[in-house]
Amino acid sequence: MTAPFPTPKTDESQRLLSPEELEAALRDIGARRYHNLHPFHRLLHDGKLNKDQIRAWALNRYYYQAMIPVKDAAVLARMEDASLRRVWRQRIVDHDGDAPGDGGIERWLKLAEGVGFRRDYVESTQGILSATRFSVDAYVHFVKERSLLEAIASSLTEMFSPTIISERVAGMLKNYDFITKDTLAYFDKRLTQAPRDAEFAIDYVKQHATTPELQRQAMAALTFKCNVLWTQLDALYFSYVAPGMTPPDAWVPGTGLVAEVAQAAGTGTVRSADVPRLPRGVRLRHDEVRGQHVLLAPERTFDLDANAVAVLSLVDGQRSVRDIAVKLAETFAADPDVIEADVLAMLNDLATKRVLER
Amino acid sequence: MNAITPNTPSLPAPVGLLAELTHRCPLRCPYCSNPLELDRRSGELDTATWQRVLTEAAGLGVLHVHLSGGEPTARNDIVEITQTCARLGLYSNLITSGVGGALAKLDALYDAGLDHVQLSVQGVDAANAEKIGGLKNAQPQKFAFAERVTQLGLPLTLNSVIHRGNIHEVEGFIDLAVKLGAKRLEVAHTQYYGWAYVNRAALMPDKAQVDQSIRIVEAARERLKGQLVIDLVVPDYYAKYPKACAGGWGRKLMNVTPAGKVLPCHAAETIKHLEFWYVSDHSLADIWANSPAFTAYRGTDWMKEPCRSCDRREKDWGGCRCQALALAGDAAATDPACSLSPLHSKVRELAKEEAAETPPDYVYRTIGSNVDRAAPPPLKEDAPL
Repeated sequence: MTAPFPTPKTDESQRLLSPEELEAALRDIGARRYHNLHPFHRLLHDGKLNKDQIRAWALNRYYYQAMIPVKDAAVLARMEDASLRRVWRQRIVDHDGDAPGDGGIERWLKLAEGVGFRRDYVESTQGILSATRFSVDAYVHFVKERSLLEAIASSLTEMFSPTIISERVAGMLKNYDFITKDTLAYFDKRLTQAPRDAEFAIDYVKQHATTPELQRQAMAALTFKCNVLWTQLDALYFSYVAPGMTPPDAWVPGTGLVAEVAQAAGTGTVRSADVPRLPRGVRLRHDEVRGQHVLLAPERTFDLDANAVAVLSLVDGQRSVRDIAVKLAETFAADPDVIEADVLAMLNDLATKRVLER
Repeated sequence: MNAITPNTPSLPAPVGLLAELTHRCPLRCPYCSNPLELDRRSGELDTATWQRVLTEAAGLGVLHVHLSGGEPTARNDIVEITQTCARLGLYSNLITSGVGGALAKLDALYDAGLDHVQLSVQGVDAANAEKIGGLKNAQPQKFAFAERVTQLGLPLTLNSVIHRGNIHEVEGFIDLAVKLGAKRLEVAHTQYYGWAYVNRAALMPDKAQVDQSIRIVEAARERLKGQLVIDLVVPDYYAKYPKACAGGWGRKLMNVTPAGKVLPCHAAETIKHLEFWYVSDHSLADIWANSPAFTAYRGTDWMKEPCRSCDRREKDWGGCRCQALALAGDAAATDPACSLSPLHSKVRELAKEEAAETPPDYVYRTIGSNVDRAAPPPLKEDAPL
């Protein structure tokens, strides 16, 4: 078979390595190619990604997480030995859980929700990059098509993951105020699962890679897997960091988010420092016939009391909520903080009805 | 002759004017709210008359003007009429199909001071939408129109009339509204008057579909709070209480037809014994206060039991008069959509039966051709169904 992956070209590659040498060679692949070295991951760890870049990462990575049990089921299906299957099936249990609301995929969904996504949007995978899909699918195909040894060897990136995971938890918690401990619950679990899985896999590979050719295949398989992970970050970097070329249909910031998050990103949730304004199509008007002020808006009219008129008269797209409260407090000789609370309640109500923006 | 003038406690001033500028429309929706006999272009009011009507409306207390049709942009003077609204301080709402010449006139309408656009969407899937609207290639025109509306910064409402031909697309309408940048979405189940009454068997969804659509809307409201406002009009035939038609007969709304006939609601002409006045003969204030069509069912004096003694009588005002006539054979009867009507169970059964049958083809609306399917007859309490 032609090897599509770079292989050591020296005479060394023809020699049968001892199990310890093989393990060292495999670890060396990780040391050079694991995705913790990728520029995107460096940005992630160093707190240099913005919220939308984190979102893009969480969204795309979900597809990888979601397909892992599919991949492991494919590996499992090729194992003729019950004792192997008993060990391997635990990976599927870890990822899928024993019940809804449990398992690694679920925890990743929690992470995605934690950064603002709607669960159904994430699960649909409609916003992921094609490169993510291609990479992940290539991994699934690989374990189906290659030998069992290669399939198991390709999982060995887990040998490298504990370090990076603790780095990730610490890095993120330190640098992103919107990432909470709950959101990162997934990784707490993986810290114990990954070493256990990796230990079994490396033992298997050391035991079964009994010829130079098999050892070469095992190393190539691990290299391939590193590339699966690396390519996904290449695509994220290309689309969401630089040059920012997002393919058609891929996720764009502001979409797929739960309402409160979308609100915070656009209209809605008016805060003290915000400058509220009435958008086109919303007008404050005096109604001579009825002798009152009204707010005219799409398909509806709000009858306004004197307080509401006082507030809305000051909404001019220049003053902040605080400015308005201070101004009203002067006029009515009242506590600006008390007034501000009332003003915020009223403006937020109008924002929820989509007749006020900021 | 009559001491009653507008905006006294007994006669509140109208809030809205539905200006049906023309019955011409590139679409042929089988649930169109226009009457079966459509006005022809030659009979339409001229620009100056519309401007007078609008001036009178503003003086009378009207705040919102709904520029409707047919397709209002089919009028060559739509920009001028919109300018008049702006000059009078009237809130102008363009109710449009977004097809034909609508896009070409949009920038000028924006400059004229248009306040809001309500765009109809017949379906989400283009083929389905174009089958319902009876016009090929309508969907891309609508999307292009919507895009320009939001580009200009005009508030956009999508209006989707729901029936058995698109009730499976409710979730899709919601996504579409978000995608097109609408601030409001109307999920309006078909009301069975006019063309929709003729097409009722082709349009009636079943109860399970209706319930499902309501659940979808409620979930989306929660999810999209602050992003999209969704107004839901539930279908009468499955409701417990009827809608206060047009906010109560002669209480909030005036409807002027292309030929200048003034109606309390757009379907009122189906009540044949009513006498309607024209803007060419009377001022709007006079019509509002004294036209026999407006006084006929205003307030509660005309009511029969069970409405007369019902504590909801000033909430839903007896429901829809046109529906009472169509279904009960008496425009002063309780709207059979009300659970207190003796005919209500028949209405439910009828809806169930029609929804269970294979839908007949649509009867598309057309100007000047005979409707080749008879409208369903009224129900009788003892009539076998």
